[in-house]
Amino acid sequence: MTASTPNALCFGEEFPANGTPCLVHVEGHGLTMTFPSDREAGESRSESVPFSELTVSAGGLDHDQLVVTWSAQTGQRTLYLKNPDVIRAFRQAAPGHLTKPLERAAKQVRQVRQRRRIVWSIAGGALLASVLGLWFGSDLLVGLAVDRIPVGWERKLGESAYHDFLAQHDVVKDGPSVAAVKEMIHRLAGQIPDNPYAFDVTVVKSDVVNAFALPGGYIIVFTGLMKKAESPEEVAGVLAHELNHVLQRHGLERIVKQLGFVAVVSIALGNPPGLGGVMKQLGIELMTLKFGRAQETEADVTGLQLLYRARIDPSGMITFFQRLAEKDEGRVEWLSTHPMSIARADRLKTQLAELPKQSTEPFTFEWAKVRASLDTPGGVP
Amino acid sequence: MKSEILYPGAFPMVRVELADGEHIKAESGAMVACSPTIDIESKMEGGFLGALSRKFLTGEKFFFQTLRASRGAGEVLLAPTVPGEIVVLDLDGINEYMVQKDGFLAGADGVTIDSQMQSMSRGLLGGEGFFILKMSGKGMLLLNSFGAVHKIELKPGQEYIVDNSHLVAWSTTTTYNIEKATSGWVASFTSGEGFVCRFRGPGLVFIQSRNPGGFGAWVRQFIPVSE
Repeated sequence: MTASTPNALCFGEEFPANGTPCLVHVEGHGLTMTFPSDREAGESRSESVPFSELTVSAGGLDHDQLVVTWSAQTGQRTLYLKNPDVIRAFRQAAPGHLTKPLERAAKQVRQVRQRRRIVWSIAGGALLASVLGLWFGSDLLVGLAVDRIPVGWERKLGESAYHDFLAQHDVVKDGPSVAAVKEMIHRLAGQIPDNPYAFDVTVVKSDVVNAFALPGGYIIVFTGLMKKAESPEEVAGVLAHELNHVLQRHGLERIVKQLGFVAVVSIALGNPPGLGGVMKQLGIELMTLKFGRAQETEADVTGLQLLYRARIDPSGMITFFQRLAEKDEGRVEWLSTHPMSIARADRLKTQLAELPKQSTEPFTFEWAKVRASLDTPGGVP
Repeated sequence: MKSEILYPGAFPMVRVELADGEHIKAESGAMVACSPTIDIESKMEGGFLGALSRKFLTGEKFFFQTLRASRGAGEVLLAPTVPGEIVVLDLDGINEYMVQKDGFLAGADGVTIDSQMQSMSRGLLGGEGFFILKMSGKGMLLLNSFGAVHKIELKPGQEYIVDNSHLVAWSTTTTYNIEKATSGWVASFTSGEGFVCRFRGPGLVFIQSRNPGGFGAWVRQFIPVSE
């Protein structure tokens, strides 16, 4: 640094708001400021102030500058020192009455730095912990939130979507197909211990091969799916799968996941009405809700076990899934939400092979008659 | 190095005259036109790590462009991306400025650009992010704003309150605290201000007359939503 390079900023009444650069010299009696002149050739101006008139503190954006103030004839003067050499010289030369304030200023600077380090390390640690927590614990958190949602609330959610859907579709009110589906549901539901859901099943007239379950136990079966099925066990297999989506609350899990973390927390803290506002929006989403692979596997496995307990032949489920996947004819929408794979069929076959053999009970209706009824208008033969 | 602001107002451009051998660094993409004597180089200011930290921490560009009058004197025309004023500051080697991440347009070679970590509260609530640019050194510094630039001059101890999203640059001799716009939490946000910065002098605070985030939100309502 050359002798004329300014090393501090001086503020005062007659100076601009961003201060005037000046060269500060620490001398035995006090400070001398030399202000470079405005004009290149002009004389530079100097000012001196004894130590006895100074007060010091820490200042600046990061509290890392030494602020020296005093009253001059022209008004209050403030000096911002940043240069470490000047600060050191100042501290060495400063008389007794400034030692304490200087110590305090230095302590303040250290405290600010230390506090910042601590806050940042805590924040870094918390960030890391929450990333790890979310990575490993998001399913747990979703599960916790879903557990807090009462069944009644879940039913309301499903109900509005269910009625919206039925209003736009041709419902088969009675007849052999309705009776057959009801019998299947009755037999399956009878094997569910402590079942909190009253399953509500409706047959919808449509050639689309589809069936789905809404949260709360609302099940819709398309006539297209029943026509494709060669035996009632095949339809029962699909129903068992769908019932288990309801029982495991897979729909709710997806909704909670889609709504995100805030929703999870608000439910977990006991504030489910906060979600009410988005229910209508969700009603549309519920129809096209895609389940995760883990959820499909869970519904497959538990569905198979349910069929077994209800003494309905579970192999119908597997063959039907496979046949739907093989023959790519018509609109098999069920597959778009339930993609079939060899691995999935193999898993089900292995599962079935592990179960002890047992005799199955046939349904009370004749499947051929049920299927025949589907072709006649109104569903009644 | 001389500079002149052309078409002052919403869509200004700055003409920088470079003497033979002089150079200026500018935000990448800032060059509009230049004399044939000017060479455009791309440079990672502050080295690879510096550039990397600037990119990821402040959201600024990874590369700066260097415009060098290597084959004789010439001029460069520079313009920012957003509509708004350009301010020219002359750094004297003592005054230092903090600049929000979109505020830098160009600087003379003597200007040093660092990304600096803010305190947690300022980073979290200040709306400028955790890292901002610190401009020090000596020479010409060009800043750009969204809307017009207003300079607030603060005497020692004088206070002024600024909505955090309107900040462009401020002296390092100032200090500020983040606080709620009103005494209540709800009113703070319903008033549309949220958090504000209480600045305390001495020093300069440059603010912009428009809020980029607010403008973005306003534009968004006219953008057709794809199905």
